Amino acid sequence: MKGRKLRRGRLALAVLLVAAAALVAALAATAASASKQDTITLTIDVFGDFGYHDLYTQYEASHPGITIKEDTEDYAPHHTALAQHLATGAGADDIEAIEVGFIALYTDQPQNFVDLRQYGASDLKARYPAWKWDQAVAKTGSVIGLGTDVGSLGICYRKDLFQKAGLPTNPAVLSKMWSTWSKFFAVGKQFQAHAPKGVKFIDSGSNLYNAIIGQANPAYYSPSGNVIAATNPKVKAAWNQTMVAYGSGLDLGLSAFSNDWNTGFKKGTFATVTCPAWMMGYIQGQAPATKGKWNIALVPGGGGNWGGSFLTVTKQSQHPAEAADLVKFLTSPASELYVFQHTGNLPSEIPVLKSKAVQNFRNPFFSNAPVGKIFATSALALKPQILGPHQGDIQTAATNAIQRVEQKKQSPSASWNQFLKDVGDVSG
Amino acid sequence: MTSLDVPQRRSHRAVARRFDTAGPLTYVFLIVVTIVSLFPLYWSLVVASHTNDAVYAYPPKLLPGSNLFHNIHRLFNSGEVNVDFTKALINSAIVASVVTVSVVFFSALAGFAFAKLEFRGRTLLFVLVLATLFVPVQLGLIPLYIEMIHFHWLNNIRAVIAPNLVTAFGVFLMRQYIVGAVPNELIAAARVDGCSTWRVFWHVVVPAVRPVAAVLGLLTFMNTWNDFLWPYIVLNARNPTVQVAISDIATVAYVPDYSLILTGCFVSILPLLVVFLLLGRQIIGGIMQGAIKG
Amino acid sequence: MIPGPTLDGRTGAAAAAPRRGRMMAWRRLDPKVSPYLYIAPFFFIFGVFGLFPLGYTAWVSLTDRNLLNPAANFIGLHNYALLIHDSYFWNAVENTFGIWVLSTVPQLCLALLIAHVLNAQMRVRMFFRMSVLLPQVTSLVAVALIFTQMFGHQYGFVNYLLGLVGIHHVYWEAGRLTSWIALSVMVTWRWTGYNALLYLAAMQSIPWDLYEAAAVDGARRWRQFIHVTVPMLRPTIIFTVIISTIGGLQLFTEPYLFQPRTSGGTGGSARQYQTIVMYLYEKFLGSTQFKFGYAAAIAWCLVLLIAVFALVNYLVVGRIRKAEP
Repeated sequence: MKGRKLRRGRLALAVLLVAAAALVAALAATAASASKQDTITLTIDVFGDFGYHDLYTQYEASHPGITIKEDTEDYAPHHTALAQHLATGAGADDIEAIEVGFIALYTDQPQNFVDLRQYGASDLKARYPAWKWDQAVAKTGSVIGLGTDVGSLGICYRKDLFQKAGLPTNPAVLSKMWSTWSKFFAVGKQFQAHAPKGVKFIDSGSNLYNAIIGQANPAYYSPSGNVIAATNPKVKAAWNQTMVAYGSGLDLGLSAFSNDWNTGFKKGTFATVTCPAWMMGYIQGQAPATKGKWNIALVPGGGGNWGGSFLTVTKQSQHPAEAADLVKFLTSPASELYVFQHTGNLPSEIPVLKSKAVQNFRNPFFSNAPVGKIFATSALALKPQILGPHQGDIQTAATNAIQRVEQKKQSPSASWNQFLKDVGDVSG
Repeated sequence: MTSLDVPQRRSHRAVARRFDTAGPLTYVFLIVVTIVSLFPLYWSLVVASHTNDAVYAYPPKLLPGSNLFHNIHRLFNSGEVNVDFTKALINSAIVASVVTVSVVFFSALAGFAFAKLEFRGRTLLFVLVLATLFVPVQLGLIPLYIEMIHFHWLNNIRAVIAPNLVTAFGVFLMRQYIVGAVPNELIAAARVDGCSTWRVFWHVVVPAVRPVAAVLGLLTFMNTWNDFLWPYIVLNARNPTVQVAISDIATVAYVPDYSLILTGCFVSILPLLVVFLLLGRQIIGGIMQGAIKG
Repeated sequence: MIPGPTLDGRTGAAAAAPRRGRMMAWRRLDPKVSPYLYIAPFFFIFGVFGLFPLGYTAWVSLTDRNLLNPAANFIGLHNYALLIHDSYFWNAVENTFGIWVLSTVPQLCLALLIAHVLNAQMRVRMFFRMSVLLPQVTSLVAVALIFTQMFGHQYGFVNYLLGLVGIHHVYWEAGRLTSWIALSVMVTWRWTGYNALLYLAAMQSIPWDLYEAAAVDGARRWRQFIHVTVPMLRPTIIFTVIISTIGGLQLFTEPYLFQPRTSGGTGGSARQYQTIVMYLYEKFLGSTQFKFGYAAAIAWCLVLLIAVFALVNYLVVGRIRKAEP
């Protein structure tokens, strides 16, 4: 009996000692991390892959005394975390990347961000297309961010599938054939008539819709900031065209970025994807085995933007001057070109878009297509796109509405009505 | 000390023969349950031991490949995955250990008080404990985050340890268990022997709650180890726990490398299995206790 | 208790007298004070880390606070009034209860059965007990990945198996009932072992002579289970039912991770599996609405729902015959 008591006592003592040791270790660890204060560490928070790693090394080499640390999350958690950090006044990095779907929300709250005009941003205005520059300017005139990339559009297609269906595969020919969306659907019907079994022309209704909406101007918001999704005929037109594509059997109905969609790339179950420049990197990563089977043609309707981001400096930063300088470096023409050549994100600055390096750039994965020329032309032709704070939610509502039809849960008209109701909810 | 130690092996074995031996049907049932429990884990090992392509293979790949050690090497190579996985493992170990010991001890204490001690307001206070479980954790995140800012605990593992030091779940569990498992006569006898409340706790209650203490310890350790949302919010990639680190691996490139992510998941499970083995024996030990206590 | 020397060196009867005095004082206080001392740690931690968030969200629910904008107006119970007419809220309530029924009832019955089976003498008992708990060990990232793959529409493993018996291409994520089933499978898979182990631990404290007495009365395994095990397990069963009620009504992570990436927190294109906490999260952090006040009102409605439902379940389960003393 006494032995058991003693054993229990010892066991308890051991456990408490372990806990105490752990606590001490924890406190020591947190103390140690606070000691290195001699260099300035700049933190930058991005999502996905901005392709900046080599650029950080370059910058650190030319700026001794500055260390750069990058945080990265998925697109959605990144923006959620940003909102939370701004709301609570702590936790934001020195530099925060913000995507175009959210930028309008933050131009409404310029007090959270450093006005980059203080650091010479106004001199950079001429480099950008007006529409890109304006997206990061608050009503107060404060410039909260500098543009990193744009998502101008093309159509990525599988030339081997086109060949099997008896369609031409030359991008110039195709670009002419489908200069409008109606012509695009006509080509699609031609494809479907002779397509390999189980293969559809279009991967996902929402991808198609996003491209069409990306060309609409105005789209969901009027210049004065009102939500006009319900009354804007361009929105209804985009919807109708998507429904036509689905109704004609051209649309596979996949949920973009889902497992089935990812596998679809590998298995070749769809022949075209509406391609913002960043989609190239996606395709290359998803289906490396399909190298050389893809090509890129111009998007019907010409122009259009889907995606693109900005780098901002938050007011929470302890080193705004250094951070602003780093932002200017990362968005400089040289940096944007480097990122384009290595990661595929399309530059947002005019001199870069017009440069020989971009215009002559070809991507071997996409059959050596002159991707630089294709996307740059599209970007330069773009007219201003007006955004609003609830852009992202309206986009989600539209995607859900399309999916409901594709999943056979609602008729197109019922789904459209629910979309309108959701838009009212979200912007109310 | 008292009747706890009186061996009743004879009756135990007698009952055991009649009642306890498992028939073949039992084994079949358990094997099915085991396969179902293990399969997702097994399949994640399969994916982890191939390259990323394996996730989307159809028909699905079912046998492990040879890539596991290569992936493990990539995992701990901070340059590639942008996060210090070793540090994450250490952080999680510290957090989970401290929280587990604290929860088990303080829950036993409070559970004992609610179960066996008489005091004013006992019912009301216990209902209050229960009520704290009702509030969903998601909404409290922002105000809790604000508190952490005030304490200067952002990106510090103290922020992940402190709020979890005692849980209503633990108190509730201990109370329910002690109500049934500790006979009032035993406590009365101890009191008669002149034991103070502390001695009653330490010498009567603590031995009796060993099985549930082991279970609570195991569950608390696992839940703390697997806790994602709060650490994700209050820590960052520079001082992560293991779940935060895994989710950071998931976002390193445009296209997530699932084989690497699942390698991270797999490696993070190994310490848990160690804890299993340690505490599992306690649960077995409980059988003897229960047998003897008759 | 043999008294030793006091701190100031006195021994023997001289030392004993004042100590005895202190001991007597403590003896009187001990039964009165100790209980409060023992529950104090919980209330202290809760007071610091639980009370402030609670109070804060209660206050916020009475305002129209937007997360990004510190200025807010007091609007009384207006948020709650809006909630009552919010069809998406009631949709979430329906989803939550539906998934709860599908996942909790089978789960607890299965857990009880598994615990009973594991209680028996057998070989490799340790291995079976460990494997039953392995789902808890698997990290949520892995669980989400695996189950989303398994219940995929075109290439999922479950559909592959079903295809072998002639059932083709169930679109799990898209349908209402099918998504509920998929989620229930996920939740049941994850939590059954947990509950089984709780029951098992409680079974350890059931004295053998009760089983012996029942066996002598002619009861076989099943009747012993019904008449001895279950009544003795009553406090633990009540515990797991209440915890499952609370946890089930607060379900968030599993359905959240089940969504396709474009779903935006809506729980499927028609919100077919959006739970209450998902709706709360969408309103306050997961979209661009940032309606903090409204979300706080949702949270408090949920608290009310949980309290009521837990009480109902408690009354239902409480009808288990109490164990004979």
